[in-house]
Amino acid sequence: MTAIDPRVQEALDGERDPTTLPAELREAYARLTAAATLLRDPPATSVADRVMAQIRREAPATRPPRRSNWLLRPVTFRLRPVWTLAVAAAVAAVVFLPFRESAIPGAEEGVAQFVGHFPGARSVEVVGSFNDWQRGALALRDEDHDGIWHGAVVLPAGQHEYMFVVDGERWVADPLAGRYVDDGFGAGQQNSLLIVRP
Amino acid sequence: MTLLLLLLLQSPHARLEGRVPAAALPPLDSLIGQAVAESLPTEPLVQKALEGGAKGIPVPRLVNGVRHGLVQLRDARAIVSRATPARASLDGDVAAVAAALARGLDPGLIERLLSADSEPPGPVLHAAADLVAHRFPADSAADLLRTAQQQGLHGTRLLDVAVAASHELQREGGRTPTEALARVRAMLPNIPVATPPHPRTVTRRAGRGS
Repeated sequence: MTAIDPRVQEALDGERDPTTLPAELREAYARLTAAATLLRDPPATSVADRVMAQIRREAPATRPPRRSNWLLRPVTFRLRPVWTLAVAAAVAAVVFLPFRESAIPGAEEGVAQFVGHFPGARSVEVVGSFNDWQRGALALRDEDHDGIWHGAVVLPAGQHEYMFVVDGERWVADPLAGRYVDDGFGAGQQNSLLIVRP
Repeated sequence: MTLLLLLLLQSPHARLEGRVPAAALPPLDSLIGQAVAESLPTEPLVQKALEGGAKGIPVPRLVNGVRHGLVQLRDARAIVSRATPARASLDGDVAAVAAALARGLDPGLIERLLSADSEPPGPVLHAAADLVAHRFPADSAADLLRTAQQQGLHGTRLLDVAVAASHELQREGGRTPTEALARVRAMLPNIPVATPPHPRTVTRRAGRGS
């Protein structure tokens, strides 16, 4: 950055008569004064306004806009990032959540019903190969508190191994499964086997 | 080769991380790596490991369970190769045969059922395992299923044959297994279709958690 000569500075500050400046400094004084004037008086319209005005002026004439054209007109939404994330999360929840209410089976899916009699149980859930043996994914219900817990889900067609987990800790084979297979961990425990038909 | 194996292992490893004890991860990676190297399906092994982790099975037993699963997959592939030498063994076929072995079906019987039909073997093997579980003689059960296939019953309809046989066995008057099988054979191909649960009862769609 080039330092301003103190004499020019004094002239700019009104402390010295500019005409008393030497010729080589008078030119610098004139340039600085012009720049200051330019900055003090901004243009009547902003750059953006002038660009947009030019664009509008150059737009080809088209048919007069119809009221129905709003359907075809592009619309720009402005969202804060936080709202963008919220909308993305909501869409993902609808599309990707493993469980959907009132699901209808597809061509390669079928309905599986689970019923178990566990009087006095506080919770019963189904854990199996269809949900990667993930706890908390499929809870059965007992609305009338008669000890009969039930639920129905849409599953991919084919074979699935599963067990009931009662009160979050007791693993129990489904007594109504009809098919069982040793779980292979050496304690003689059996998984229930479910074959879902498409 | 090692790099390729590591890349292939990445996904199962990621699925198991946090779901099985940390001490089980290296041996499980190794077992799954062996399955990859032998072109065996890995999903049954991943499922067995996830199951063991969810059940809180101690690490040695968990690893043994998965190792046993790998042995069954090898046996299953050998059976599929012998039964259908003309076509490449599919992962689904190998997994279905491994599941049948886990249900206790005799390897010879499985091979016989596979060589008699070109359809995916899952349903016929389950139907056979259902019949054997109800103490029907294995050979007679296989014959009944073969007859059912010849009369146009395929896929999950074969499960209805097994259900019909077990119903005949439980009828009042007490039929012997041989009598029950004969009754079902006489009914073929008009075997009642099992009624599926009504979709309206469905409250949820289940899927993989991860």
